Amino acid sequence: MNDKFKNAEVLLEIKDLKIEGYSDETWVPIIKGVDLTLHRGEVLGLIGESGAGKSTIGAAAMGYARDGTRISNGSIEFDGMELTTASESERRALRGSRIAYVAQSAAASFNPSHKIIDQHTEAPVHYRIKKRMEAQEDAMELYERLRLPNPKEIGFRYPHQVSGGQLQRAMTAMAMSCRPDLIIFDEPTTALDVTTQIEVLAAIRDIVDQFNTAAIYITHDLAVVAQMADTIKVLLKGEEVEQAPTQVMLDNPQEDYTKSLWAVRSFNSPQRHRPTDGSEPLISVQHVDAAYTGGVKVLDDVSFDIYPGMTVAVVGESGSGKSTTARCITGLLPPMSGQILCKGEPLPPRYKDRTRDQLRQAQMIYQMADTALNPKVRISEIIGRPAQFYGGLHGPALKQRVDELLDLIELEPSKYYSRYPPELSGGQKQRIGIARALAAEPEFIICDEVTSALDQLVAEGILKLLDRLQNEFGLAYMFITHDLATVRSIADEVVVMQHGKVVEQGPKDEMFTPPHHPYTDLLLSSVPEMDPEWLTTVLEERGVDNIGEAAGN
Amino acid sequence: MSNFVILYYTALIGASCLAAYYKQRSVFMLIFSLTLVSFVLGIIGGAGALRFVATSAFVLALAAGTSYAFREFLILISKPGLAKELRTAPLTAAFGMFVIFTYAIAGIFAPWIAPHGEAEIIGQAFAPADENMLLGADQLGRDMFSRIIYGARNSVGLALVATLLAFLMGATAGLLAAVKGGWFDQLMGRTADVIMSIPSLIFALLILSIFGTGLQVIVIVVAVIYSPRVFRLTRAVAGNIVVMDYIEAAKLRGEKDWYLIRKEILPNATAPLIAEFGLEFCFVFLLIAGLSFLGLGIQPPTADWGSMVRENATLISFGDITPLIPAAAIALLTVAINFVVDWMLFRTSGLKEQ
Repeated sequence: MNDKFKNAEVLLEIKDLKIEGYSDETWVPIIKGVDLTLHRGEVLGLIGESGAGKSTIGAAAMGYARDGTRISNGSIEFDGMELTTASESERRALRGSRIAYVAQSAAASFNPSHKIIDQHTEAPVHYRIKKRMEAQEDAMELYERLRLPNPKEIGFRYPHQVSGGQLQRAMTAMAMSCRPDLIIFDEPTTALDVTTQIEVLAAIRDIVDQFNTAAIYITHDLAVVAQMADTIKVLLKGEEVEQAPTQVMLDNPQEDYTKSLWAVRSFNSPQRHRPTDGSEPLISVQHVDAAYTGGVKVLDDVSFDIYPGMTVAVVGESGSGKSTTARCITGLLPPMSGQILCKGEPLPPRYKDRTRDQLRQAQMIYQMADTALNPKVRISEIIGRPAQFYGGLHGPALKQRVDELLDLIELEPSKYYSRYPPELSGGQKQRIGIARALAAEPEFIICDEVTSALDQLVAEGILKLLDRLQNEFGLAYMFITHDLATVRSIADEVVVMQHGKVVEQGPKDEMFTPPHHPYTDLLLSSVPEMDPEWLTTVLEERGVDNIGEAAGN
Repeated sequence: MSNFVILYYTALIGASCLAAYYKQRSVFMLIFSLTLVSFVLGIIGGAGALRFVATSAFVLALAAGTSYAFREFLILISKPGLAKELRTAPLTAAFGMFVIFTYAIAGIFAPWIAPHGEAEIIGQAFAPADENMLLGADQLGRDMFSRIIYGARNSVGLALVATLLAFLMGATAGLLAAVKGGWFDQLMGRTADVIMSIPSLIFALLILSIFGTGLQVIVIVVAVIYSPRVFRLTRAVAGNIVVMDYIEAAKLRGEKDWYLIRKEILPNATAPLIAEFGLEFCFVFLLIAGLSFLGLGIQPPTADWGSMVRENATLISFGDITPLIPAAAIALLTVAINFVVDWMLFRTSGLKEQ
């Protein structure tokens, strides 16, 4: 129990909550008896891997069971009112007015055909708390407090006309519109870049403080929760692992599982250096300019080299041209000017003009394993096809090769050989993606944000696997990411991109020691650290009005 | 009060008491409200109305029972994966499958099931039903029952071939358009627009009166008329699939278009295509029946449900239901297919019952 809230009134009390989900014609337990107490003004961080039941508990705190789930046991008491037995209309009256919800993707949660402020005023007008004009004035005030640019005017835009970070703050403002007692934040910054994340975090923390609102903050990012929460609760597979005040939890975790979460960023691959004998780079990108049909230039004079057996990390925020560079290398987007050399020979700009061997050289691993593997094709065929296509293997030889590849990615061949991708977990799917790339026996693999959709423990496993394969087969990686922790652990060289230009590049050790280019500096200092005082310190250093996007310009 | 009426009310009230005792809320509400309605009906319509209600309820119960039994039968004889899917089928879908199954049997084994030939004149024109002719005779004295059985083969068979051809053309064009894009996509799309802009029945009548009413001509005309709809659906479905990363991965591997279509796109597009197939089959079937009714479809003496309605149409003014029998056969098949398609659409749309 956090001392700070000992005397505060209890707002939400969940006792022995059990939730079941319907699948394969039976009810399977999802939440297996979780207790939770939240005081007024307290921020509780819920943390755990995906599938741990964080979001389900968040929804249950509103008395809401998602489609296909039911609350089978336990009590949820919100400010003296029992939600499990309350009627649907009573519960609905709470939502929006006294309990609000901020979703992960603001872009998907706003209705694209209404202005932001109209959606903002909907709840207060509906509950007859404020008149429309009052609500609009209040909205503008909230926008100002959340430090949105142009608070008087921004509400009259449509959701697609503002940036992702601004939209997420507008959503927080919307949740505040009725001055609720409790706000549930469901991974509000997971989809954002580090530089944008920091301003949303600062805004959320401020506004929760100002109105003494209680909040449940759901995330899988430990560093983020350390900034936001007063108390942290760790969940694993629907059960509580432990709960403690933030500082205690960070300094002295009790359970093994919590310790493993804390230790997850410890993986570090020894840095390799360029060969000094003057050998040619494996892939050389030279002065590439590119644009999508009729659009503005997305890449502007991009050049860098990748040497055999090395990992080059390309970092930058979204829209900086990282993935476009990869598309130019693979030949999906022919560059406007400049060229791409493979072992000193220029590659044809379009993938259709490349020979089978040139295509085999460069393989790709995708960010979303869900869309990268055909759900209706067996694992054996997904992995076997490149081996068959490039190597001409058939029958027993092909089966042996697939088994070999499954062994390499640490999946039991007999168990996974004839399964389909939807039957696998996210991490296993990503491993299959890696096996498919390996099956072509390439020398160069482009990894496009391979770990960003995964939980930290799983992501670390993937990084270790990639590192092991690199050492075994002498592969070169182009590692596209926006996560600097990943860069620290796996990269040999770093290329920083901004607005389609290479801002800075060099070996990892040089890049992580000052002096930096101002943009690199901004990126580095925006990565949340485990220290709970980190956000406060950064804000003091940069000044409240000069964080995030503003600092970049 | 006749024994029937007493029995009728006893059964209803007894059933509602049982339902209430076993806490079957919805069943109780249904039966008891039927009892209340029956009071009014009995006063207005007498025993006849109650008899009608009882008969309808009995037929419905019989249909439900048949469907249930048929579904259990299918679950037992099919493989585990398929059996699991079938268990999710509602009774309506099972009923639809049962009807389709019956029609298929009738069509395939028509020469053995039908007591007489389809063109065989065995009695007087419009002879009433007797033990020799189960449903009576038509306007030339041919056995109506035999002609209905043969009609299942001719009408359904023709519609099936025409739909298959429409799908072959439409789906191939749609998949190619989605994969190739560019000018090929444009060309196919505009061609489909042109065909769709002409009213289908008038187009069919025009072509049939130019080229004559041969079976091949009917099949080709109907297939051409319906292929643009298939094309548009396939292109839309495939369009969503070709932007997936796994297609990009296959393209970068250097795979040819044909491999992409066959191995990567088609497995993901089958579910909506099968549902669309059922739906289109109904439309094609109705169009062919309509053409036959207008005299430009299947030509006499071949038995065909559409033309049978037309040939016997005069009887309706004498209060005889004979012309309605082939019409009912058409209606039943259409309803049955739609029941099955509804279930498939429900499954593919990913909707789950709460």
